[in-house]
Amino acid sequence: MQSSEQEEDLRLLRESARTLFDRAGGSGRARKLRDAGGEFDPDMIRELAEAGVFGVAVPEDQGGLGMGLAAGGVIAEEAGRVIAPEPVVATIGLGLGLLHRLCPDHPKLAQLIGGEASLAVAWQERGPGGAPAQATCRYAEGKLTGGKAWVVGAAGSQGFLVVAEGDDGPVLVLAEVGAAGLVTNTRAQADGSSLGELSFSATPAEELASGAEVRNALAEAVADATALAAAELVGLCQRAFEITLDYIKTREQFDKPIGSFQVIQHRAVDLNVMCEVAQAGVREVLARMDGETDANTRSRLASRAKARAVTAAKKVTRDAIQLHGAVGYSDEFDIGLYMNRALVLSAWLGDDAYHRRAWFDAREEEGAAQ
Amino acid sequence: MTDWNAMSDAEFRKEVRGFFEAEYPEELRHLPHRPKFCEIEPWHRKLHARGWVAPAWPAEYGGMGLNAAKLLIFYEEQQRWGVNRGRDMGVQMVGPLIIKFGTQEQKDYWLPRILSCEDIWCQGYSEPGAGSDLANLRTRAEIDGDEFVINGQKIWTTMAHDATHIFMLVRTEPDTPRKQQGISFVLAPMDQPGVEVRTITTLSGETEFCEVFFDNARTPRENLVGELNKGWSMAKALLSFERIFIGAPSLAQNALGQLESFARGRGAFDDPVFRDRFAQAALDVEDHAALYARFADQLKRGETLGADVSMLKIWVTECFQRITELMIEAAGPDGGTVGPLQVGNVSVDVLASFYKARPTTIYGGSNEIQRNILSKAVLGLPG
Repeated sequence: MQSSEQEEDLRLLRESARTLFDRAGGSGRARKLRDAGGEFDPDMIRELAEAGVFGVAVPEDQGGLGMGLAAGGVIAEEAGRVIAPEPVVATIGLGLGLLHRLCPDHPKLAQLIGGEASLAVAWQERGPGGAPAQATCRYAEGKLTGGKAWVVGAAGSQGFLVVAEGDDGPVLVLAEVGAAGLVTNTRAQADGSSLGELSFSATPAEELASGAEVRNALAEAVADATALAAAELVGLCQRAFEITLDYIKTREQFDKPIGSFQVIQHRAVDLNVMCEVAQAGVREVLARMDGETDANTRSRLASRAKARAVTAAKKVTRDAIQLHGAVGYSDEFDIGLYMNRALVLSAWLGDDAYHRRAWFDAREEEGAAQ
Repeated sequence: MTDWNAMSDAEFRKEVRGFFEAEYPEELRHLPHRPKFCEIEPWHRKLHARGWVAPAWPAEYGGMGLNAAKLLIFYEEQQRWGVNRGRDMGVQMVGPLIIKFGTQEQKDYWLPRILSCEDIWCQGYSEPGAGSDLANLRTRAEIDGDEFVINGQKIWTTMAHDATHIFMLVRTEPDTPRKQQGISFVLAPMDQPGVEVRTITTLSGETEFCEVFFDNARTPRENLVGELNKGWSMAKALLSFERIFIGAPSLAQNALGQLESFARGRGAFDDPVFRDRFAQAALDVEDHAALYARFADQLKRGETLGADVSMLKIWVTECFQRITELMIEAAGPDGGTVGPLQVGNVSVDVLASFYKARPTTIYGGSNEIQRNILSKAVLGLPG
């Protein structure tokens, strides 16, 4: 149980984040951006930064608010409620997660918190079964060579934080957009955002950190981002359910609101229960991760959160379409945007089946270690 | 008298756990069936001597006077150690009813007898035509001088064959505009010519449920609790705490623990499909516990629980069923065999667990009724 003071801080943070997103246009903003072909809104990034959103989980002595992952979760849930297309979670979890752990004195940290820089993190590579056993993207003598995949926020960013193999183990380097030999390809996603595919050939990059600490920081940052993505899905689920509930209360067939039919009522209850279980589980995970230092336990907790959130989001958004009937299948209704965003967030950083496997394996490992 | 509520939660938990672990008979832990009183009597005597029979009752009536937070801890520890609840209908249902609505004479007479188990109670609510639609009950009680004369039938009466008294909802006014009206709460002795009990054998082979037939059975008029014809609202008032208790995680948690040792012993985890289904069930239990904690925190802050607490029962009972179904899967070709299966040093009766899980979605307000409640009271859906 969190202290009441912490709870109050989180409540205030939630209120201000909700107001900020609503004032900016709520879920209507996501539709506008998608229709305009834009990935996200630079003004929104600045506004979010001014409100301190990106730095919530960064320690205070590094220029953040030091409110922990639980606060990051609040922001993520609120972003999820309005299906905000900005890479809020990727920035809080991955970008800042790496920078504050590995190079707290680098100016990019403050710039990223302040919304003056936008950096995407490139850490995955394509390979059989989703990822290669050994990263092949190399960094030597100040130059990057190879490729990276599934880069969130690549299209709108000014630079990339790249995790590559150096001469003495992993390195974290910074490559600017426009650097020689850097080619970015993007692939459109269901919600109008895109994933970047990067290739480097002798691309100049600045080394930020190296060695085992990079591997550890990456694991921590990925766990953070995974749990935060779960929180984003929780917010998305809750809102998709509210929209659906309003709809079944007003839509009439057979001279009655369809929400008066028991079969619809019971399905609505099941979705509601799914949302509440997901919210309780994910919030508990975030609070526990804040007090947990063991890396394996943290990643097991993150897997628990993402497995739950994806299961819930899939069920809620798909049933929401069904409960809307034919209009649910039209692009005009917002509920479809929620399903699309859920597809994207579910696939990112591992879906439910992936995380159940990861959770089980981590649990076995802990059991064996004891 | 100890003021348990003044203790820290941790201290109190330690106290309760210590007592259970030291005093509860090992052979009665995690009993798969409901015991008759004689089976559990030595334990009841210890509890009685300690003054711990009625944790929720105010101290002035011989209870522990626990607040909601402490009560939850008491029950959590009870379930964790597999301590049988004993024959607690008197303590859980009749006592609170009398404390809340009874006269001073009723309190003075009945409450000590409940604590000592001199009287052992069963609950006469359901009837053949009144299950989920409980207000449809027809058992009549007519006033005849100083007595009520009772005619009708109750069913699914738990352990009626081992009870000395029944507390029942009866119809005292047949023609009312709404069927929830005209119902009263009366207490009646079982040992009389007009009462006949027949046990019902369940799918698990147990006989814990009974039918009770009333043929001009009699009970003194002073055994009416509360006002005549006002029994329905009183019965509902009793259910508030039960609603979180019935959704507690322990049944599913214990079953999951059993499933894990059993599956490990049987090598079921070598199968990736089984691993996934186990993970799913285990995560269902963990996330339910998180939701349960949210409601428990509400109680600890002194707030009243809303109708949304029903979701705990829906989730945990359905989850409990899936876990017991996985036990059968893990048993493979032994999945249809009766009796305990020994694996290493654990012994698991997969069918007993399976049967135990079946009625949980039916009793305490079936899960369909719970969904009706949630849809109207929480989601505000019409009709």
